[in-house]
Amino acid sequence: MEFQAHQIKDIIKINYRYTMGGQSKFFIELMNNKKLLGTKCTKCGKTWMPPRINCSECYEPAEWIEMKQTGTIDISTIVWYTTSAFIKAIPYAIGFIRLDGADTSMLQGIFSESLIPSKVKKGKKVRAVFQKEREGKMTDFFFVPEDEYESWIIKSEYEGGSE
Amino acid sequence: MEKVAIIGIGITPFKARYLDKTYFELAYDATKLALEDANKQGAEIAHNDLQSTVYGIYNELFERQFMPDIFINSYIGMINKPGTRIATGGATGGYTVRMAYAEVASGLSDLCLCLGVEKCNDCYDVQTGTTTPEVLNAIAYSADMTYEYPMGMMAASSYVSMVNAHFEEFGNPTEEQMALVSVKNHGNAINNPKAQSPMRITVEDVMNSRIICYPFKMLDCCLYSEASAALILANEEKVKELKVENPIWISGVGAANTDCFIGNREDMGRLYSNIYAAKVAYKMAGLDYDKIKEQIDVAELHDAFSGQEVISYEELGFVPFGEGGKWIEEGGPMIDGELPCCPCGGLIGCGHAVGATGIMSTGEAALQIRGDAGKHQVKIEKGRAVAHSIGGPGAAYAAIIIMENEEAR
Repeated sequence: MEFQAHQIKDIIKINYRYTMGGQSKFFIELMNNKKLLGTKCTKCGKTWMPPRINCSECYEPAEWIEMKQTGTIDISTIVWYTTSAFIKAIPYAIGFIRLDGADTSMLQGIFSESLIPSKVKKGKKVRAVFQKEREGKMTDFFFVPEDEYESWIIKSEYEGGSE
Repeated sequence: MEKVAIIGIGITPFKARYLDKTYFELAYDATKLALEDANKQGAEIAHNDLQSTVYGIYNELFERQFMPDIFINSYIGMINKPGTRIATGGATGGYTVRMAYAEVASGLSDLCLCLGVEKCNDCYDVQTGTTTPEVLNAIAYSADMTYEYPMGMMAASSYVSMVNAHFEEFGNPTEEQMALVSVKNHGNAINNPKAQSPMRITVEDVMNSRIICYPFKMLDCCLYSEASAALILANEEKVKELKVENPIWISGVGAANTDCFIGNREDMGRLYSNIYAAKVAYKMAGLDYDKIKEQIDVAELHDAFSGQEVISYEELGFVPFGEGGKWIEEGGPMIDGELPCCPCGGLIGCGHAVGATGIMSTGEAALQIRGDAGKHQVKIEKGRAVAHSIGGPGAAYAAIIIMENEEAR
């Protein structure tokens, strides 16, 4: 006799009020003042972005510094198939952006009027654009090619940064 | 340290979905297969003789169970014995072998079960009415939850970042060179009855398959599988006592965790964890990173994505940096090439049952140098093999296992 499987429906869901701890200032400044804060090691001078309040190399404290909102694409990809949480957003581009003056690069979304590989290529200059409605999360901002910046900040849901 | 041998190997078929098994039932099957294999080698042992277990299980969300190892521990009859779980992303299997090795090498156990299992496809995405997007979401929680997950980062976009950076630096792997890996591994899987994706395909088929994450296409990616794999490890005294006929000795283990934030790395086009893990393992086995290709017969690599296998040729020292793409064009890693890579089909051909994968790769490499690989057996001259596991956010975790047979010893 053919095997008859029994399947049950289930879901795992947990709510959080997650503290960002020592990194809280990054999210507060992002939300309230559209600033991008990194940190700089008080000993070796390395800048961390995303920020760390301690230098992982020197074991010394790192202090807050305001970062430029312009940078360069280090590496990127365009995503055409993805997780259940993002499948409605495809295609979308993400990339590692090195903010001008930073020692590390950060992952962020790269928005463009024409989402083709050459538009989001390594070496492309980009600039941060902010959501008008911000909640102190990484999704409060994204990057656009520098030559598209003006056309993005005039859209009703977005605005330029503090610079 | 005690010398450690693999005396039993059990691998279940890799399938898209087992509707007739839970994860602990699959784990039971692999354990039983490993015991049967050990007994075929003359050991005459039962599960009661095993003194401890090291479990490789990556993802609680797949199994719909936190601490799934303790439920397996009950089901396989290992109660009142020590069991430890390892979870290191895609490298879970390799890391589990390393820790099971340590369990025996340290003298804590004479006979240890190394058991990996994963059952991902019970995840289900209601909105698309398909499985994969929810499986990918369960994996995506392995990315940094604050800075990466909210950007839509997932396994393919993580690996593709490093492959794209490697391409920018070295001009390889090209899309065609990546496609050759897919052709090779799907083709090798035809001779592996346990593989999920045996296929005779062309470079053109790969190039024409749907785009997943530029420039990875569908056929550049492994499929998520359900499977279990088990090894029985014994120290030298036990091997002699049990009169095991063809023990496969673990001569080197190496592991390294590089920075999980790709943007923090000096060169983004490197899988540094591979380099450090390989150097440690080779040194322990008395092998030479610069001559490794001449010192081993076969490598079971972690080809989650085709382009990443090409980079691994370089990281593991088979060819100099930047020459991985050329090497596959020349046929080096083909089943009849100078160093066959993934003769079982690897992850692209077999499938990727995360916690089981690296244990399957280790078991497959061991079967090769034991001469028991069946229809995908390669020529064995040196009696040495490499198994490789990599995974986690930004492929931060890597583990390398070196094995040798009695003749090589």
